[in-house]
Amino acid sequence: MLVTVIDYGVGNLRSVAKALEAAGAEVCVSAEAADLRRADRLVLPGVGAFAAGMANLLKTGLIDVLTREVREADKPLLAICLGMQLLARESEEDGWHAGLGWLPARVVEFDTRASGLKVPHMGWNEIVPRPGLPFFVGLGSRPTFYFVHSYHLAPDDPRLTVATCDYGGVFPAAVWHANILATQFHPEKSQDNGLRLLRNFLAWSPAAC
Amino acid sequence: MLKVRLIPSLLLLNGRCVKGVRFADFRDVGHPITAARVYDAQGADELLFLDITASVENRSTLFEVMARAAEECFMPLTAGGGVRSLGDIRTLLRCGADKVSINTAAVERPAFIREAAETFGRQCIMLSIDCRRRADGRYEVVTRRGQDATGRDPLAWAQEAEAHGAGEILLTALDREGTRQGYDVELTRAVAKGVRVPVIAAGGAGSLQHLVDGVAAGGASAVSAASLFHFTDQSVIKAKAYMRNAGLDVRPS
Amino acid sequence: MPRASLPVYDHLRTCTQCLLPETQETLVFDGAGVCNVCRQIEYKQTQVDWAAKEREFVALIEQYRDRHDYDCIVPFSGGKDSTFTLYTLVAKYRVKPLVVRFDHGFLRPTVLENSTRTIKKLGVDVLHFRPNWRVVQKLMQESLRRKGDFCWHCHTGIFSYPMHIAVKFKIPLVIWGEPSAEYVSYYTYEQPEEVDEKRFNRFVNLGITAEDMHGMLDGTVTLRDLKPFTYPELRDLRALNFRSVCLGSFIPWDVRAQAELIRRELGWKEERVEGVPPQYGYEKIECAMQGVRDYLKFLKRGFGRTAHLVAIDLRNGRITPEEAVALIHRYDGQRPASLDVFLEYVGLSEAEFMDIALQHVIDPHVPEVSTIPRGEALWDQPLWDRS
Repeated sequence: MLVTVIDYGVGNLRSVAKALEAAGAEVCVSAEAADLRRADRLVLPGVGAFAAGMANLLKTGLIDVLTREVREADKPLLAICLGMQLLARESEEDGWHAGLGWLPARVVEFDTRASGLKVPHMGWNEIVPRPGLPFFVGLGSRPTFYFVHSYHLAPDDPRLTVATCDYGGVFPAAVWHANILATQFHPEKSQDNGLRLLRNFLAWSPAAC
Repeated sequence: MLKVRLIPSLLLLNGRCVKGVRFADFRDVGHPITAARVYDAQGADELLFLDITASVENRSTLFEVMARAAEECFMPLTAGGGVRSLGDIRTLLRCGADKVSINTAAVERPAFIREAAETFGRQCIMLSIDCRRRADGRYEVVTRRGQDATGRDPLAWAQEAEAHGAGEILLTALDREGTRQGYDVELTRAVAKGVRVPVIAAGGAGSLQHLVDGVAAGGASAVSAASLFHFTDQSVIKAKAYMRNAGLDVRPS
Repeated sequence: MPRASLPVYDHLRTCTQCLLPETQETLVFDGAGVCNVCRQIEYKQTQVDWAAKEREFVALIEQYRDRHDYDCIVPFSGGKDSTFTLYTLVAKYRVKPLVVRFDHGFLRPTVLENSTRTIKKLGVDVLHFRPNWRVVQKLMQESLRRKGDFCWHCHTGIFSYPMHIAVKFKIPLVIWGEPSAEYVSYYTYEQPEEVDEKRFNRFVNLGITAEDMHGMLDGTVTLRDLKPFTYPELRDLRALNFRSVCLGSFIPWDVRAQAELIRRELGWKEERVEGVPPQYGYEKIECAMQGVRDYLKFLKRGFGRTAHLVAIDLRNGRITPEEAVALIHRYDGQRPASLDVFLEYVGLSEAEFMDIALQHVIDPHVPEVSTIPRGEALWDQPLWDRS
């Protein structure tokens, strides 16, 4: 199984690649359209600010081929952290910025004024997965994953969310939309749980769901 | 809820892990990659690599260590030690570090923090603050591993750094470093209360109770230790069990 | 199960069920004050489909049977666990094993006698390896200083050496005996306990690898000297398609029943161990330095071998808490006579030894060393090699 990790200049690409290899995939890290086309699955990683991430993604010129592969050819896509956020309609990080609009959701800031909690949300936190889904097989009822972010997704419809996390309030830890699985946490930084989730992603048949 | 983090730190000198007291009298404590493997197997939450090799020529060791660690340890890795430029940060991130720690370079030119945060994202930028207690009882920030005193107040500096975009603070009480006498809880609390970003307590952990104190009394979001793991029979697993029994919310090993 | 309300230790919180204190390496207490090891054993006794596990084991053996010079490797010490494992594999599952024995240098006469009888009766090929004593001495000294535990060479050798043999002889299946989930919580019965490098790093090697030792010993031993204590490269093991498992992951481990079986079938003899009640004569008989090892545990953690043994019996409902406490108070916490021999081996005075031990005390234990009684010497102590 060939997975192409999309290199748009942000994110710890090496860790994502190595983790996917450990999970059993053959991995290509690339910004070439051909590598996106020949892959069986795609991963959109990402770390950092929304505006910079979006600008970088646009600069690669890959939006068209990405749209074709994911939205038309239904290739499974795993989007991680900033990668997840870029799929949203818009983000309020440092002003208003448009995303790809593939997920019916906005990206909003954590409001920790009431809770006084630290920002960014940085560290290991538990997620509560929706039962019965293939992504979370073998992970137990409240597995921990590594998060590091100051903004999170706010879906239009709560049914988009397949796992929640609580940090001064519940927010989406993972969302699922057709052939797209998107996680706010970093599976490549979440040791055994992360590797298990990656393995589950590699084994997932979107058509069967 | 968000778990309290236990972060073993590894000091690198010429490609080996070392440990001393207040950055002197170093003893060899192991091979960095096998040490990382051990910590990974024991369920450490993150790892912190600090390169104290003096010469610029030997920086490649840190890059190599990060690259190899990233291949095997799927947890957050922070690299630091002599980071002076955006190029250094870029190389470390490319090698596999998730966060980069900056210290002296930031004190000398605080705008560096902003440049780094804007280029790489604030969550990548850990500001490391070394502190010493002066004769008059006040704390001050020191640089170059304690060689230069700046006269600056740690809390004020931490707040300024946060404003510039630092995503996290690593707070080390140099007087305590390697002594295993406990963190400087007073210092930790003062800084942790005064900033919104997470603070990692470092310097002095010698017993498992110290780790608990760092969080419960010091308000740290994470605790870092080295001597504790190298020179006593207490492991990450034992430490987490102790912390859990003390009522702290830590990730199980 | 009756709850113990008797005080067992000053200043140490204990599990309300098995009485182990909080200083045990992995112990975490739940809301009811019961430790995670007790919960693991409850899980083992009630939630595991052992019939299915045994079928899995049979399938595993069949996967490797007759494909190589030996069907599997059985790491063997001659103690009750490895003897039972070897017996079960040969007599019940009809496996052709290569028995691999890593000799730590402290094998006692009774265990040697037991082993000879066992291997002759069962009819098996045996590889017996004894590492360089001069290297072992250095390793014991360094490990004692770094961790307050001198057994590094033994832990690492026992778990590395058979894997080297697996690679060299191309025997991919290695079958161990007791899963650590029986008495500690590095692994539980809910997940498979693969005896691999991760487990090695998680707890077997005390957090120190051979590569670490090499630097710490500062050129006085070479990487070649450390080879028997070094875990083989993962790629070499993967090339074999290796599996390294515990028999106790597939059949429910029961030390008393198993000890009885090997006594009966193999004439396996019990032996006295320092600081252990006589009714546990099946336990830990294979090492002359067991008494010193347990003494260090007592100094650092406040409990000894007896506490460990009665915990197992408490979990299995074989002893009352009152009986358990009485045994702990009577047998744990003696200074073993064998310490004299150990000090000679490592070239330390008793004061130096105590000094080192007390640097490794585990929170929140506070050792009381002024009143430790001296124990009697074992009958075979005069026979131990002192060269």
